[in-house]
Amino acid sequence: MQSFKTASDRRLLVVFVVCVGATLVLILGPALYAIQLSLYEAKTFVSPRTWVGLDNYARIIVDPAFWQALGTGLVFSISAIVLQVVLGIAFALLLNQAFPGRALMRGVAILPYLLPTVVIAITAQWLLDGSLGLWTHWAQDIGFGRPHWFENPVSAMTIVVLASVWTWTPFVAVCFLAALQTVPASLYEAARVDGAGAIMRFFHITLPMVAPMLLVVILLRSIWMFNKFDIVWLLTKGGPLNATEHLPILAYRKAFLQFDLGGGATVATLSFMLLSILLAIYFHFVPLDEKEARA
Amino acid sequence: MNTRRTAAGRIGLFIGVALMAIWSFFPIYWMVVSSLRPERDLFSAPTLIPKTFDRELASYHNLLWLTDYWQQFLNSLMVAGVVVAVSLVMSIIISYVISRYRVPGKSLIIGGMLYAYMFPPMLLAIPLLAIFARWQLADNLVGVIVAHCTMTIPLGVWLLWGFFKAMPMHLEEAAMVDGCTRVSAFFRVVLPLSLPGIVTVAIFSFLLSWTDYVFAFVLVSSDSLKTLPVGLASILGSFDARWGELMAGATLITLPLLIMFSLLSRYFIQGLAAGAVKG
Repeated sequence: MQSFKTASDRRLLVVFVVCVGATLVLILGPALYAIQLSLYEAKTFVSPRTWVGLDNYARIIVDPAFWQALGTGLVFSISAIVLQVVLGIAFALLLNQAFPGRALMRGVAILPYLLPTVVIAITAQWLLDGSLGLWTHWAQDIGFGRPHWFENPVSAMTIVVLASVWTWTPFVAVCFLAALQTVPASLYEAARVDGAGAIMRFFHITLPMVAPMLLVVILLRSIWMFNKFDIVWLLTKGGPLNATEHLPILAYRKAFLQFDLGGGATVATLSFMLLSILLAIYFHFVPLDEKEARA
Repeated sequence: MNTRRTAAGRIGLFIGVALMAIWSFFPIYWMVVSSLRPERDLFSAPTLIPKTFDRELASYHNLLWLTDYWQQFLNSLMVAGVVVAVSLVMSIIISYVISRYRVPGKSLIIGGMLYAYMFPPMLLAIPLLAIFARWQLADNLVGVIVAHCTMTIPLGVWLLWGFFKAMPMHLEEAAMVDGCTRVSAFFRVVLPLSLPGIVTVAIFSFLLSWTDYVFAFVLVSSDSLKTLPVGLASILGSFDARWGELMAGATLITLPLLIMFSLLSRYFIQGLAAGAVKG
């Protein structure tokens, strides 16, 4: 570690301070501004504002739409996370076996994660199109009639969850696969000598060995799934009848469609707070020093 | 690794891998195949392996020449290019200085970056638009570039910090003893050695910017300024769903990513395992 001694060191220091300052303003600025906006009443982004203090919060807290959106968000994120973790572990275990074409399969299994959300949403809508979609035809062929996928609250939620699972399972698989490589082979050998079967080995060696990593992955997934806007918006726009409207969509609708910028900023600020609890847990389990080693 | 496998185990593995491959690849297959069929055939009962292909590629032709596709492609490319350049310069400077000098509040800076990286885009987009509206930057690609940098700079600092830290300091010190200034020691010694990390940051900055929907959707409203994902989504929103064109557009957005992935998969996997794509 050096201190800034020479003239060129000091020039570097100036550049560094400018860069860090710009980045922090870029990131903290909007977050603080959201909090400020939540204390005002404003119709649009350019109309005049009036200070209302905590009135927006008082209004949002008693709004059933807020609690419904929070509940919807929990249903959406928890079911999506559970499914993607289970499926991701299964994929990682498969990809950890030796078989011909494994390298290619690893690539194929990652593909969904690289696709832009808009591509996933559009392809899902094409597969499920009410009259032309492939899956609609299949459902019809096996006697389900012509399902109106996006008009039924349960099936709309199922679609949003499954599309998310499809997209983000590879993340869990890649992380789990990397963690699997760190489990010493000698442990498995010893267990095999003692007569442990594959299922026993998974639950008594693999899972305990990768548990810390798994916890971090689940936390990261929770942080990101809970506030996922684009996949839900592009598939259902929060419909039918708000059945898939979670907090980010509620914030968007208030700020952009219902001319209630203060209300939208309030919902956004409340989501920030919920998110910060998750982040505090994350930083508790993953201190910065450890991240150094991971990156 | 299990080397002795029973016949049942082999069949089970085969079925598992096949299911995984179908699950992961089928939607992509269907997207590409649908874009290659004549548009009128999309209205008849679908078959898994299409019987006809469109030799004239009318879906692509319509998309490229009858919509704003080229304009949106240039917008996306321009935004992603600037975002990659800005985030590389900023994150290299920040992470290099932090790894080499005694900087007060170091863990606060790194922690702040990580905290910021976790922020969901929609929650940042609302206040950003309010700020840009005041500065007359609403409906302007500069706003989109700035917004994308809120994701890519923290990511770059996070990844590169690990790289620079792992690099022994005495390499540059040796170069400086031999007469290099710190800047030339950086360019001649540190930069070449940390190239894998820099490539990873460039790839993921591009990926985040190229695939972003939320920021571009909120910050830009005129048709001529839309980026590819937003432009594609607005075709879907129009009254008659032109599925052939939509699938062609989806395939074309994906294509650069697939090419990059097949050429640079090593960096991709490295970055993915470090959580480089927020999502």
